[in-house]
Amino acid sequence: MTARLIMKMKVAAVTHEPNNVRVYTLSHPLRDTLADPHPGAHVDVRTAGGQIRQYSLCGDPDDLSVYKIAIKREDSGRGGSRWFHDNLEVGDTVLVTTPRNNFALNLEAGRHILIAGGIGITPFIAMARRLARRNAQFTLHYCAKSSNAPFLAELRKICGDRLVTHFSDVPESRFHPADVLMNAPSDAHVYFCGPQKLTDAVKEATADWPEERVHFEVFAPTLDENFNPEPFDIVIGSSGKIIRVPANKSALELLRAEGFAMPSSCELGVCGSCVCTYRDGIVIHRDSILKVSERQDKMLVCVSRARVRVTLDL
Amino acid sequence: MWTGELLHIHIAEAASYEMEELEQAELIAGKGIVGDRYFNGTGTYSPKPDVREVTLIEIEALDSMERGDPPFPGEKVKLRPIEHRRNLTTRGVPLNHLVGKRFRVGNVILKGGRLNFPCKYIEELLGIPIYTALINRSGLNCRIEKGGIIQRGDPIEVLPDIVPVKEPATSAHP
Repeated sequence: MTARLIMKMKVAAVTHEPNNVRVYTLSHPLRDTLADPHPGAHVDVRTAGGQIRQYSLCGDPDDLSVYKIAIKREDSGRGGSRWFHDNLEVGDTVLVTTPRNNFALNLEAGRHILIAGGIGITPFIAMARRLARRNAQFTLHYCAKSSNAPFLAELRKICGDRLVTHFSDVPESRFHPADVLMNAPSDAHVYFCGPQKLTDAVKEATADWPEERVHFEVFAPTLDENFNPEPFDIVIGSSGKIIRVPANKSALELLRAEGFAMPSSCELGVCGSCVCTYRDGIVIHRDSILKVSERQDKMLVCVSRARVRVTLDL
Repeated sequence: MWTGELLHIHIAEAASYEMEELEQAELIAGKGIVGDRYFNGTGTYSPKPDVREVTLIEIEALDSMERGDPPFPGEKVKLRPIEHRRNLTTRGVPLNHLVGKRFRVGNVILKGGRLNFPCKYIEELLGIPIYTALINRSGLNCRIEKGGIIQRGDPIEVLPDIVPVKEPATSAHP
């Protein structure tokens, strides 16, 4: 389980980027220095109605006086981004967790290949700054609809000719993952974040890469419309108590009902807050973030289930 | 006999919220500190009934951890009063001796319930390895017997045990 502190932060500034993106600068009224998030980290931000959304930190990773997040208004989304755009103004207080990083740079890598699609660019702004300052070998591929894309001017300054743009309205610039990754050296690491189509394409192109050299961030659950949940039993490792999880409930809900103080955030299997160690059983993993090696003994109890029975290390 | 001092008052309105420091606070008998998560019923452990109306910890324990004193020499851990998630930080109060005792904080009367023990939850929340360092000195969970306003600097003193008054023995056969 991982829990994070919830801070009451102030909106210090709001700026605008193309394509309905607003950048919120958040400061802490009582702290001059914030926890060091390291590039690639995200925070959870709450709406007044209690909805929780994850946003990558996109500010300068060496400036720990503020955090910056960028929110693209998604009118057809679940309502979080609309609420922030319509309600969050300079001077407002907003609930923000301390950062979590599921998408950290591996600074041992000989070369970094960063691939962003659309608003998935946000974590790469901090990552590119860090890599550029370290004179690391990297290339940032930015896929967007057109040159009127968020953060483009800033990225050109940070990356110079290490930025390669791929715009849908410029057909010859189209992004082909296989071409980009074909000649990658054996010490290269690839990082990607963007829409499902891009994620799937890069995953396919890196299917035979070693797992530790492939890093990706997702903010939407893996789609699986055919999944048919079935009831199963949780055995509490410390006490032997058995808890039945019916088909229409999650393991997280049942554990909470039994009095376990379980942290959670997205409850979609993408943030990792509710990760729990299991001792035995066949787990049906439905999350989007655990690596294959982690799945041997860890599960996200918000979405993952088990066949018949699983023993949790609780 | 000792007299201690109330150094800090902290509350958090819900589970995982950062603690906030108060100059003074209102304690309600049988409930908690107004505004705190265990008064609001929104704490991490609120679903588990316990003696947790108000929690205390000694500044001496925090100082000792920072020095890396035995029993864990060399493991220096700085845990600031705003971070430990207990409500009251005391000086000069032997909290481990107050289980089952009544004591006064300013005009408020508390009753020692059970010793607090460290939890992994707070270690994760802070990202500081404090679990082992807090063993045996994690503070005291108390009930509020008589409510009122407390403020920083209030004196803390133990109260005499209440001895039930026995009826004088009477003989059925005078």
